[in-house]
Amino acid sequence: MPTWEEKLADQIDPQLADEISVFETEIQLRKQGKLDEKVFAETRLRRGAYGQRYDNGHRNDGIRTQELKYSTDLTKGPETLWDAPGMQRIKIPFGGLNPNQMDTLADLAEEYADSVLHVTTRQDFQFHFVHIDDTPALMRRLGAVGITTREACGNSIRNVTACPLAGVCRTEVFDVIPYARASAKFMLGHPDAQGFGRKFKIAFSGCEGEACGLVNMHDMGGIAVTRVENGKLKRGFALYVGGGLGAVPHDAKLFDPFLPEEELLPITQAIARVFARLGEKKNRAQARIKFLVAKLKIDEFRRLVLEERKILPHDPRWTSYLANLDRDTEKPLKAPSHLNGHPRPEGFDAWYATNVYRQKQEGYAVATITLPLGDLSSWQMRELAQIARRFSGDNVRTTVEQNMLLRWVSETDLPELYRDLQRIGLNEPGAGTIVDITACPGTDTSKLGISSSRGLAAELSSRLAAKSFTLDESVKNLRIKISGCFNSCGQHHISDLGFYGVSRNIGNRKVPHFQVVLGGQWQNNAGAYGLALISVPSKRIPEVVDRITERYVRERQHAESFQSFIKRIGKRELARMLEDLTQVPSFEADPSFYSDWGDPRVYTIGDMGTGECAGEVISVSQFEMAAAERLVFEGQMSLDEGDYVKADGHAYDAMLQAALSLVKVEFMDVPNEPGTIVNEFRIRFYDTNLLGDRYAGSKFAQYLFRRHDSPPTDHTLDHAHRVVEEAQLFIEAAHAGHDILAERRSKLP
Amino acid sequence: MDLQRIGIKIFADSSAPVPVREFIPIFHSWIQKQAVEEHLLIDVHNYSHIHNGPGILLVAGEGNFSIDMADGQMGLLYYRKTPSAGLVSILKTALQACNLLECEPNLAGRLRFRTDEMLIVANDRLHAPNNVETFEELKPALSAALKLVLPEGKFAMTRSSVNPKDRLAIRVQTGQSENVAALLSRLNPTDARSRIS
Repeated sequence: MPTWEEKLADQIDPQLADEISVFETEIQLRKQGKLDEKVFAETRLRRGAYGQRYDNGHRNDGIRTQELKYSTDLTKGPETLWDAPGMQRIKIPFGGLNPNQMDTLADLAEEYADSVLHVTTRQDFQFHFVHIDDTPALMRRLGAVGITTREACGNSIRNVTACPLAGVCRTEVFDVIPYARASAKFMLGHPDAQGFGRKFKIAFSGCEGEACGLVNMHDMGGIAVTRVENGKLKRGFALYVGGGLGAVPHDAKLFDPFLPEEELLPITQAIARVFARLGEKKNRAQARIKFLVAKLKIDEFRRLVLEERKILPHDPRWTSYLANLDRDTEKPLKAPSHLNGHPRPEGFDAWYATNVYRQKQEGYAVATITLPLGDLSSWQMRELAQIARRFSGDNVRTTVEQNMLLRWVSETDLPELYRDLQRIGLNEPGAGTIVDITACPGTDTSKLGISSSRGLAAELSSRLAAKSFTLDESVKNLRIKISGCFNSCGQHHISDLGFYGVSRNIGNRKVPHFQVVLGGQWQNNAGAYGLALISVPSKRIPEVVDRITERYVRERQHAESFQSFIKRIGKRELARMLEDLTQVPSFEADPSFYSDWGDPRVYTIGDMGTGECAGEVISVSQFEMAAAERLVFEGQMSLDEGDYVKADGHAYDAMLQAALSLVKVEFMDVPNEPGTIVNEFRIRFYDTNLLGDRYAGSKFAQYLFRRHDSPPTDHTLDHAHRVVEEAQLFIEAAHAGHDILAERRSKLP
Repeated sequence: MDLQRIGIKIFADSSAPVPVREFIPIFHSWIQKQAVEEHLLIDVHNYSHIHNGPGILLVAGEGNFSIDMADGQMGLLYYRKTPSAGLVSILKTALQACNLLECEPNLAGRLRFRTDEMLIVANDRLHAPNNVETFEELKPALSAALKLVLPEGKFAMTRSSVNPKDRLAIRVQTGQSENVAALLSRLNPTDARSRIS
């Protein structure tokens, strides 16, 4: 039987192909019990393979909590069963897609998931109900079209986002896409970004005033700025750090009002180093960089980063991409044109009013595809790819509002485009308006979900769409964002009307509620966070929306913004006007309050599990030692297959990897070159007798030295067998060495 | 060809369509009873907001069931995900699910499935690419399985699409529609209904 590995061998970047093979081996090692479940959990998270609700083997069915008896007790992480369906997150840097990639995504959703593609609030795609055993093939097929899942989850640098209009925006300072692309590429798998205690999110905006990349809520973000130096216009970024949503939102702090473009990557690297070194590792709730910046204060944080910057070894990649900025410019598919006088199909004008943005390039427009709840089917995706080929070319984007964009549409093509979208059911108007609601997965699939964010979003969207033609203009452009819990994946803090799921006890029953958060600001790069006001039963949230929006229409002063209105009315009055909606009738009087939107089960929070968003805190050393274990395992496999050359090579690499993990504890920037690794290991751990005979001792170190100094000239079974055995012993010694180093560190004042 | 990932869609009679959201509580009740033999039923998902999409999805460890709306045609679609006893077993599971829905008290007889047409999908582009060769290779096994439920052997098989990007999907047309229970009884003559309860 052919495999995708064989079929796509010449279509994948060799490094990516190797990485996926490594992951596949790690799957085998975990199945054989040779890889710790926590290490495997973080390993798969860093490949984007995430847990999903009910993967702990329990689910409340509305009557009782059932034990879900999966076919094996094997786990893929703490309390996460192997056979339980999982989620696969797929990174789409700055949301950029081409039709071939869209076709592949559609194929994969059909074959490995449930034929649905979900756009996330980080411009990623997510598949649900994926089996972990299918993920290597899925990753290879993505790799063949230039997409990676690496570091889509876990304590790593997540998908780099950017304004979806970048390059065509009428108000941008310059196109930030080449910089977003370079950042994503440079930091992907970067050694300095492997030791974080939590995730790290980067965003880019082309201008300050629009929503763009939402820089204010990011761990690190850059807003395009220019200044004149020596008579020339110089590009740079207003660089911000330490923003974030989560349970406690933080405004980002200005790190540098003008960071020259050539300093973007080295400063990013230096920030990563400081975060990896000083960021909290034990207390996950305090481990995002926002807490480090808050603790150190921005001036001290900046000083540490700039000190780190000074000692960074030079990397030509910091600036090499700058020579090719023009090459990254998008090309339109067709000549520009104007819509004047062209016949317009029924429904077109309403769609045009909300879903079409005229580009700064005369004669071209961006069309927004409104995706209900961020979802589209594989069939729609494949059809949309064809439509893109016809009207937009490679210029497709996902957005953080869970929609998609076709850019560079020649304006006279818009009516025809609308007809095509109508044919596949993707012609809904209302993009960026109150009916275009953002929602995280919530209780549908998230292990942390408390209330049904998607259920509420569907209900609100349906009710608002039904009366959209009668809504006041001031209300139409408000935004609603919903999270299933306080973790803010739905970005409720930065919307006009935000909601996040909570639960309340009424009598001896649980009732799903949402906390109402009002007055957040989407514009100005997420310029302000909303105020949590009051919690209201889920089933009464539509009344909350009606009551607040109606009062806004009624009492709005001149062109008063919603934020200003909320501020003027005040928290006390707002709470008073919603107070009666907090009341919950008894179960006997109205049982509907005791189940959530779209879910007929009696509500419970018993299905919540342990979230994997925080990942497992696994040190860089642990990863490197896991890699050494994998290599020696591969050596054993090669030995069994009679390939002595490979067995010897794997065993040698395993020893080098284990030695490297020790050396890096003292010398972070050690070049990954065998001679240097062996030399540094000899100087630091052998000559000093630092590890002592009791553990590693000279005997095991000699295994590495001997193999390094005298590679075999004749590959025999005996030799390969001996080297594999020695590699295993060397790895054991290295583990012991790490224990000693940890013990010494713990005794430091 | 050892093809494991197969989907079968059995179409609903469209004369009086049942609103798709009515299947949400029904599938939840199936989970409460673990109503489908040899399947671990896990969760229900509402995809009714997707135009011509998977409708309502019932996720199981072994395969997914959905009230599928592709091409605007409602039907029960069963996709096998894990290795099974073969096409007959997959066909049987799909028919059992249809039978269970037809007997569902909350639908009160409003749902009937047609058996004059079925769609069989090879959900595996690697092992079953959409071409004439694969179709010809699969035909004998498909015919053998179908003859168990359609003993007179009067059915025609055609590829529903020749686009190589699509999965191989085979439309089976019989020209006459028997009820689901009758077909199921031929696979399991002693007890057509009790296998899923």
